Amino acid sequence: MIEFSKVTKYYEDDVILKDLTFTIDKGELAFITGPSGAGKSTLLKMIYCDERPDSGQIIVAGWDLGMLKQKTIPFLRRNVGIVFQDFRLLLNKTVFDNVALALRVHYLNAQSIRDDVNAVLKEVKLSHKAGTYPAHLSGGEQQRVVIARAMVAKPTVLLADEPTGNLDIDNSKKIMALFREINARGTTVLIATHSRGLYHGTGRRVFFIKDHQIEKDVIG
Amino acid sequence: MKIVTYSIQTVMKSFWREKWINLLTILSISIGLSLVTTFIMITFNMDSVIQRWAKNFGLVVYLNDNITNEEEKTLERRFSQDVEIAEVKYISKELALKELHATLGENALILKGLQENPLPSSFELRLKSSLLKPELVKHKAEQIETMAGVEEIQYGEKWLSSLYTISKSMKLGAIVIGGAIFIAITFITYSTIKIYFYRRKDEIETLKLLGATRGFIRLPFLLEGLFMGILGGVISSLAIYGIYSFTSLKVVEFLPSIKLFMASLPVQVYILVPLAGAAVSVIGSFIAVGKIRY
Repeated sequence: MIEFSKVTKYYEDDVILKDLTFTIDKGELAFITGPSGAGKSTLLKMIYCDERPDSGQIIVAGWDLGMLKQKTIPFLRRNVGIVFQDFRLLLNKTVFDNVALALRVHYLNAQSIRDDVNAVLKEVKLSHKAGTYPAHLSGGEQQRVVIARAMVAKPTVLLADEPTGNLDIDNSKKIMALFREINARGTTVLIATHSRGLYHGTGRRVFFIKDHQIEKDVIG
Repeated sequence: MKIVTYSIQTVMKSFWREKWINLLTILSISIGLSLVTTFIMITFNMDSVIQRWAKNFGLVVYLNDNITNEEEKTLERRFSQDVEIAEVKYISKELALKELHATLGENALILKGLQENPLPSSFELRLKSSLLKPELVKHKAEQIETMAGVEEIQYGEKWLSSLYTISKSMKLGAIVIGGAIFIAITFITYSTIKIYFYRRKDEIETLKLLGATRGFIRLPFLLEGLFMGILGGVISSLAIYGIYSFTSLKVVEFLPSIKLFMASLPVQVYILVPLAGAAVSVIGSFIAVGKIRY
């Protein structure tokens, strides 16, 4: 589902990732970890074409990203749900509208959008907050809204960048349970985290990035 | 269709949220369009006055003294059959003298001593209005001058040339001023939409990451420009029509002859103004949104 082959990325003259090669299979839930600044976020950004590699090949859900034209990128992104580290919630829109935005770009009709958004808000246990604005939500609730927005369009791949970075243990567990549920439905999930507690004992593959390369690929 | 519905909803919300800046933009557009329309109206009226004057414009073809009857008839036939000549009038030597008497009135006494009629017979030709351009009239006159029996041709060459220059300058002025105002309107819409674009930068970035196409991102801004242009145009058309109706009614009361110089614009112009506003505003919006990169 996600294939990196000798991928190298520079920021100006600084190498961020060098000759990265790994594969994540369809339906897998895997983790990427490493110290801050290791290039975890950059790696995820390259999967949804927010960053382009300087060399190497990336294939996501059958799309060869190197061959992708600018105008095709939106269609790739519709297949990739993203849980952003900084949430990227729109403060002037309600929880419902924030989640619905991911479906509006698919040109779905109002009734389908209503049904799908209500269903996903029920899953993340936020139905009662549908009309609330993000500023009035706790960190854990905001993160659940972001997950709801990422999963509502039923993407084939879901990426999460430090999804529990600002949450307490209880909320972190709830968020991880959601990712497992999403993965159980067949969505490939890739989570970037520096928190050992998140992947330890999960029995999932963990990629350690060190010195710009994947140091080891182990079961967590 | 769903993209249009979503865009219209976005525009409606934005219209209300940013009502003051929108109002100022719409008013600026309507003032600009009103200036253009006023200038067009003045040009239109000047032009129609000029056209009316030009209708009486004619060529006087003086004939040789020794012209034969046959040659006169041939000339008359040729003038009557010429599609560029609207009216042909033959003035005989006798009629010319009679008209001169009438023109001189009391001073006609000076003609008493004449042994013979010194005036030539002539044709007065009125040309079709489409031909009333200095170079075309000159060409026509040269053509006629070569005909057998023609002595001389007279026409108000300088007068026609001046009228034509005034009319041409007015039209050129309308194009230059209109063009400048249209550029100004494009810039006004550009600035407003650019402000909106920057205010919604976070939303646009998020939309891009969620898979929104360029069309999806651009459309609300283009529609916003379109609505502002149309509204500005409608206000302008209504204002111009209202002001024109009011002033023409009031002015005609004490200056009835002004009616000759105050013709209303054709109804198409009042419809064209909002359309022109819309087109120019959409161009401004399009430039403001610019190229969307992923």
